[in-house]
Amino acid sequence: MNRALLVAQREFMENIRTRGFWIGILMMPVMLILIGLIPIIVESTREAKKFAVIDHSGWLLKTVQQQIASTDMMFYLREPVDANSRTPLDALKKALADLPDEKLQVISQYLVTTDASHSLDELDTFGAPQLATSVRRQIEDQRIDVNRWWQSLSIEDRSALSSGISTNSFLIDNNFSNEVEILNEAIHREDLFAYFIIGKDPVESSEGSRYISNNLTDRDLLNWFSNIVTRQIRQVRLQQENMDPVVASWINQAIVFDGLTISKDGSVEAVDSQDVVRQWAPVVFVYFLWISILINSQMLLTNTIEEKSNKLIEVLLSSISPIALMAGKIMGIAATGLTIIFSWGIMIFGFFVILPQLAGLKLPFNLSEVAADPWFLGSFLVYFLLGYLLYAAILVGLGSVCNNLKEAQNLMLPVQLVQMLPILLMVPIGRDPNGTLAQVLSYVPPLTPFVMMNRAAAPPTTTEYVLTTLLLLVSIVAALWVAAKIFRIGILLTGKPPGFLEILRWLKAPVTQSNLPVRSADTSAL
Amino acid sequence: MLHSLEIDKVTKVFGDNVAVDKISANIPTGSIYGFLGPNGAGKTTTIRMIMSILYPDAGSIKLFGSLTPEQCKDRLGYLPEEKGLYKKMKTIELITYFGRLKGIPGSLARSKALQLLQQFGLGSCADLRCDALSKGMGQKVQIIATLLHEPELVILDEPFSGLDPINVEVVRDIILDLKRAGKTVIFSTHVMEQAEQICDYILLINNGKKILDGSLAEVKKCGHQTISLEYEGSGEVLRNLPGVTRVNDMGKAAELSLQPDADPQSILTRIVPELTLRSFTVNDPSLHEIFVRSVGDIDETVPQDHGPES
Repeated sequence: MNRALLVAQREFMENIRTRGFWIGILMMPVMLILIGLIPIIVESTREAKKFAVIDHSGWLLKTVQQQIASTDMMFYLREPVDANSRTPLDALKKALADLPDEKLQVISQYLVTTDASHSLDELDTFGAPQLATSVRRQIEDQRIDVNRWWQSLSIEDRSALSSGISTNSFLIDNNFSNEVEILNEAIHREDLFAYFIIGKDPVESSEGSRYISNNLTDRDLLNWFSNIVTRQIRQVRLQQENMDPVVASWINQAIVFDGLTISKDGSVEAVDSQDVVRQWAPVVFVYFLWISILINSQMLLTNTIEEKSNKLIEVLLSSISPIALMAGKIMGIAATGLTIIFSWGIMIFGFFVILPQLAGLKLPFNLSEVAADPWFLGSFLVYFLLGYLLYAAILVGLGSVCNNLKEAQNLMLPVQLVQMLPILLMVPIGRDPNGTLAQVLSYVPPLTPFVMMNRAAAPPTTTEYVLTTLLLLVSIVAALWVAAKIFRIGILLTGKPPGFLEILRWLKAPVTQSNLPVRSADTSAL
Repeated sequence: MLHSLEIDKVTKVFGDNVAVDKISANIPTGSIYGFLGPNGAGKTTTIRMIMSILYPDAGSIKLFGSLTPEQCKDRLGYLPEEKGLYKKMKTIELITYFGRLKGIPGSLARSKALQLLQQFGLGSCADLRCDALSKGMGQKVQIIATLLHEPELVILDEPFSGLDPINVEVVRDIILDLKRAGKTVIFSTHVMEQAEQICDYILLINNGKKILDGSLAEVKKCGHQTISLEYEGSGEVLRNLPGVTRVNDMGKAAELSLQPDADPQSILTRIVPELTLRSFTVNDPSLHEIFVRSVGDIDETVPQDHGPES
């Protein structure tokens, strides 16, 4: 066994000098940086879609714009107070922090308008909690100032107040006269993304309402705009029918379902964004698990073939037994893989836990907790080792009968097909981690590590863990046994790789009496 | 006589092919022993069984008295026919590694590796990667790796193949040095002349079967003397000489094969009056001839691959 450790040590030392090893280690920071940068890049390169509106009704566009402004204001009021900036609303924002959406909407509407048609009295229709009188007075006092400030903001400044503000995404462009020919020309030149035509009597029907764009697949603008228009039209219709505004707003209220989930101990918990992250975190782990197992078992295959084609194998076998050699190789590469994984772990820890602390940042969704979840990390480590051992056994057996990588690639094909499955299954299993598909596939040993890792967020039952792990362990032992038998004969073989029947015959051969290949035509191998 | 290795009726079958067929041999301690035979005769298979890389189907192999090959891997040194090195490893690391695999502690293995590299004139190559070595240097490195743990029995499979004349000499000196140090050396070759020059004992194998074995002197007794001569004049007299079994007349030179009891002296007196002789040499039988003859006796289909002398 001592000699096997020597082999492992050499294997490890050689591997950590390879380019692949360092690429493997550096892959993680590169991916972390990409994950961090891509949304920022996408965000910064995204331009607001410009659109124009031809309003045949003569009044609708104005109310719609008012509605947009008040929604923007609401987004701004919801934004936490920025210590660096001074806006007229900082004091107010704190006071309004806990107000429900419908009340905030009334206040927003009140703040962005100057006419008497909007008043804070609407607030009373929503019942508790009542706004403190002082706060209410404050709002009334500040209305003019705030309105002036709001109107004075440039589009860029307003967009910067909150990512939810509409001008980040959609921008009404008033540079074009409202003639169809000119607008069509603007769309053709891509100066405009789209334009809307509002019919003569939108309250009566949709007749004459049009949406014109050269891009009908991206419906974000259409959906956003038609939602706002619909809401306005509904309000007008309700008023026309002499509906009490309170009743009307009550009718308009949507039913909101609170997402809840049952936790491990059986109690009902509210779903917050962290749980969503948690549910999908295993997918990321599966992906890394897959890469690690793939890279490392592939490394084993390559090294085995290299030793064989380099004719080193005879020298090695004159010093140690084939089984010790195989064990050493498997251990050496496992050590390489674990080194990569541990360095990944340190980097993740640094990136999500240490770095934000140093920079004084608070990460969204508490990523650090999810990334450093001991359950995930533990599962990852265990399933890496088990999965690696299984694939190592398969590939080392396979590599031992091949003379070069090309031969190996042909034999690898079925193995690779199986190896692709975890990636294809990642999302379906993540969506339904305890479904029949997930449960059944957990019992397929080559898939067990990936599927079980995939399910780690909604943990499978203990029985499942025990049974699948047992099955996996039995498969590993069997695979190693088969691999050892193939290895000790195949590793000395040159010439065409043996057929399936021939390999079966090797398996039957007793361990102390090695029977070399039954192939009289190929005596050059001897 | 003390024997380092006793091979007793060893047989190895690969499918329908009997690679080694009941071969027996005793290798005396401290001798240079040649395994001779054409390619595919079963030399490498026999050697692999001695190294416990393969296991015999029948018969037994005993080393140093009563040990099995597996029990004394560390006391054997093996240079396989097909030489390979870890391309990316430094020379010194590679040799140290192979030494450690034979049970030599790391620091000792390293210092011995350095010492041997210097001894072989490769001191400056210690930190070179193996893929930067020339073929001859690589061969030397491999031999150093084979000898680092001071094996009592060294087995070299075709050690001369692919070497230039200078390196052939280097390897021959190494083998002779080993003998002087009291080690036992087995080497295999299909080039009979090489064996003839340095072997104390030989074993002739063909098609997996032993043809003959013994000390070089004993083996040579089985053969026949030859006469090589250079002459001017008509070679007519060379035909029908008494005691000559075969004449190979090349016009200005000739080779005569003699019967075991033939007298070279009388042949000389017969031909001197007829020819102007420029040289006349009586040769002991060559291993090549003995081999061709012995194989011919057993099997008419003599393998035609005899290396450079054929």
